[in-house]
Amino acid sequence: MASSTAIRELQRDLEDKANDLSKLQKDIAKNHQVRKKYTVQLGENELVLKELDLLNEGANVYKLIGPVLVKQDLAEANANVRKRIDYISAELKRLDATLQDLEEKQNSKKDAILKLQQRIQSLQAGKAKA
Amino acid sequence: MEEPAKGTVTPFASMFPFDEAKKAVKRVEDAIAEKQKELERHKQFIADNTNLVNLVSRLPDELHHDVMVPFGKAAFFPGRLIHTNELVVLLGEGYYAERTAKQTIEILTRRGKALDSQVESLKANIKDLRAEASFFGSTAAEAAEGLVEIREDYVEKSYTEEQSKSEKVDKKVRVEDDEYAHIMSRLDELEKEELAAEGDNESDEDEHSNTAESDNESGEDECIDIVGSDNESDEDEQTDAAKRGSDIHEYNQTEATFNNFASQTHLETRKAQKQTKVENLSVEALSNKFHHQLDTTDQPNCTGLTVQPVPKDDMSSSRSLTQIKKSVPAEKDLMLPGVKEKLEAASSQLRFDSSKAFTGSIVEHLSNIEKNSQNQTVTSSQTPVRASRPGFDSSKSFTSSIVEHIDNMPTSQEQTATSSQSPNAQPSKPVSRFKMQRR
Repeated sequence: MASSTAIRELQRDLEDKANDLSKLQKDIAKNHQVRKKYTVQLGENELVLKELDLLNEGANVYKLIGPVLVKQDLAEANANVRKRIDYISAELKRLDATLQDLEEKQNSKKDAILKLQQRIQSLQAGKAKA
Repeated sequence: MEEPAKGTVTPFASMFPFDEAKKAVKRVEDAIAEKQKELERHKQFIADNTNLVNLVSRLPDELHHDVMVPFGKAAFFPGRLIHTNELVVLLGEGYYAERTAKQTIEILTRRGKALDSQVESLKANIKDLRAEASFFGSTAAEAAEGLVEIREDYVEKSYTEEQSKSEKVDKKVRVEDDEYAHIMSRLDELEKEELAAEGDNESDEDEHSNTAESDNESGEDECIDIVGSDNESDEDEQTDAAKRGSDIHEYNQTEATFNNFASQTHLETRKAQKQTKVENLSVEALSNKFHHQLDTTDQPNCTGLTVQPVPKDDMSSSRSLTQIKKSVPAEKDLMLPGVKEKLEAASSQLRFDSSKAFTGSIVEHLSNIEKNSQNQTVTSSQTPVRASRPGFDSSKSFTSSIVEHIDNMPTSQEQTATSSQSPNAQPSKPVSRFKMQRR
């Protein structure tokens, strides 16, 4: 019974692939969540930047560090916020790239699984005839 | 469908399984609920923001405020708010700025605007999801009802080619629906005029229907004979297709009549009818005309039917005739002629009415009466042809009635009522409607 062992092997293969696929899907979901978080932060930072731009030169700006408010220079705060926005945008871009990559992988895995299923089906059909 | 070349019929349920559609609906509903929650939260934010704006705007009104200052969770002690115009405002991301009350209010209003725009986008989002949900819901319902999707390739060919005929008719009929609505509105106006003239012509009408009835009786014998003999499917199909062809004729003619309202057009119509008679096909055309006009005169009574398409009506009644013939073969000769008599009386009379509306001259009526009675004999002798294609055509008419059903989804409570009625109940429907109209 060479065909039955072949089928068994194929089924194991299929299981592995299915596990991989579910892992990929989990990754994608996680990626989505992180992305969402970053998008929210980006929005907030942009708001802050807008407000900071509207402040006049002499305004006192504080940064909350732990439990205390630390006085900061307006220009420094402004630069910090800009840097942070740059960082978040870069991070978002990176996440986009990985997401695309993951989705491609997922699609190829799906195709592979489909092919495996078809092969198993054809093998089983052949066995049933014989 | 009998010929595979014509098109494909796919049950809706196979493309969109009921369960799947249901699941999709549920998922979308969940998404909506989530968005709804978010919306609520945003609304809460907006309310907080406006409260804060109010508070901040009131603070600098006084030099100081006497307040109870919270101390721990349970305790308060009396205190006094001074520096009422100095605020430290959180800008976000841990940044604070010292601001005056006025500046703070500016910041808060800007924040409020941002919130508003977010709420707007959320609302739009929810609206989209709602549309999606309703689409899925209707798909699920349709799948559950067992609707089928019919796809046919549209082939442009001449009328002489049998196959393309019915296809063309399908298409034509759909176009006709729009035009029909248009015609209907025009006819409504005419109805009013007609009502004014009704009183004078009542007696004429009665006479006329009598003639029709007596003419009918002679035709009955023939009709029964043909029922038995005419069962081959080829021939049926041919007559069917041809009939549909003549339907188109009829449509166009009626339309022309409606548009021109001249007696001249009437003559044309009659001529054309003769032509079709030569081909032995006028049956369906005439009965169609009758239905057409029945519908027409129906309008003032039941306004709900205004957009009801003719083809649908034709289908159902012709189907029901067919079914009666099938189910009550013994009573055939008793029952059908009775029904037919009524129908034909109606048809002649109704045509009479409408001609009156169009021409408004009594001379025209008289000539029409003769014409009609002639036509009726033909009608009654030919009807059985239609009745003898139950197997083939009932399925056909069924499918096309589905198409109608889809087309008229929004309008038709009335219509669904029609289609859901049992076939045996249907034959009485046109007649009773007619009766209703009579009063």
